[in-house]
Amino acid sequence: MFLAVFSTKGNDEVSLDATLMQQLLRRDVSAFEELYERHSRIVYSLVLRILRQGSTAEEVVQDIFLQLWRNSSRYDTSRPFVPWLLTLARNRALDHLRLKSERQRRREEQTEEFPQIAAAAPEYEKALDEKRRAERVRALIGSLPAAQKKAIELAYFEGLSHSEIAASLNEPLGTVKSWIRNGLMRLKEGLQPTS
Amino acid sequence: MSTHDQFQELIEAYAIGSLDSADRALLEAHLASGCTECAKALEEARWLVSQLAYLAPNAEPSDLLRGRLLQTVRAEAAGDQVRQQPVRGTVIPLWQWAGVAALLLFSVYSAWNERHLRNAVANLQQQAEAQRAERRKLEQELRAAKLQAHEAMIWMDPKSVKIMLPPKDPKMPQLEAMWHPELGLCVRGWKVPSPGEKRVLQLWLMPKKPGGKPMPSMTFWPDADGTLTAMIENPPEALSETQALAITEEPMGGSLQPTSAPMWVGGVS
Repeated sequence: MFLAVFSTKGNDEVSLDATLMQQLLRRDVSAFEELYERHSRIVYSLVLRILRQGSTAEEVVQDIFLQLWRNSSRYDTSRPFVPWLLTLARNRALDHLRLKSERQRRREEQTEEFPQIAAAAPEYEKALDEKRRAERVRALIGSLPAAQKKAIELAYFEGLSHSEIAASLNEPLGTVKSWIRNGLMRLKEGLQPTS
Repeated sequence: MSTHDQFQELIEAYAIGSLDSADRALLEAHLASGCTECAKALEEARWLVSQLAYLAPNAEPSDLLRGRLLQTVRAEAAGDQVRQQPVRGTVIPLWQWAGVAALLLFSVYSAWNERHLRNAVANLQQQAEAQRAERRKLEQELRAAKLQAHEAMIWMDPKSVKIMLPPKDPKMPQLEAMWHPELGLCVRGWKVPSPGEKRVLQLWLMPKKPGGKPMPSMTFWPDADGTLTAMIENPPEALSETQALAITEEPMGGSLQPTSAPMWVGGVS
């Protein structure tokens, strides 16, 4: 079902990122420059959304890309690059946001500094180029009821737990759990090539 | 709903990080048990969650950030090259290592050879010194033998003239001399007391010529046993021109003129 629509462009972009990361292993500055040009906007947008302060966001983005440059060997080139980079950026931004907090410790227990993303990209990663996928993600989440969308945003951009979200939205815990799970399931379905 | 399905329901929330501690602990225990289906589902859920980043409003990082990053990265890349260059520069080709090894071997051999030669020279010097000492000993023995032979010839040759040297002091032993006109003059005695400290006995030849002064001859002294042997191969005066022999006690080194009274005097007949 996922193979119904297959975008050559999206596949090429994944391959290009892997190639650039391999060049980064050889300390190729031009490869780093191209990776930055390709992905700095989404990384900065994500970090700024979490931290809500431009100067701090730039500091964190600088750390993220320097980590990419200095520890490129820790990236598994067989795994999709952009989701890995975005997960890394989110973790870094949340680290900065909740330094020394209980929630930070909880999140660190759950995720590694270099996150494990599916070794083989889901077919819908290959099926859609990044721009189209971004548009679809916004459309899908935007179509959710406002409270459900808010719950997902609190979980993703604020790193809140189910209980914290429930308390924040003044909604039952079970409802919040369902909102988040159902919202993600809808996103998954919406990103499938046939949708 | 089975237990496995219950875990499947937790996976997306775990990926986004919103699970409360109790549910999180349950799922982590299940994942640790080795459920490959849930592990695969978790990886895909993480990919799905990462897509939520596109919900963030578009924003553009400043050119300053780009400039700072590229400056840092270029500096570090240049530093890498600088760190690598000395390594490359210090890589010594095999032939140079061979040269160094050859030089080292040659140095070791030279040092060994020098020590060996020095030892050989020292041995040769010792041998030469031993030979010189042996030669000196032989020469001394030869000289002594020749002297003995010479003395024997003087004492035995019929041409020699015997001269008795009685002491002036009756307690002193008598000395005797034998003078060969060509072979020289010998003096001998036994139980002769040693002269005083730093003093020697000296032979004088008293010329026949009227008014002639005593001719100084060699100095000598008895050995520890009191045996006195002296030979003068070339006396300062001829036998025919000598009237008498006299022996005095003189300072060490002898004198040009007698400084003490003769202890022994014997006329040459």
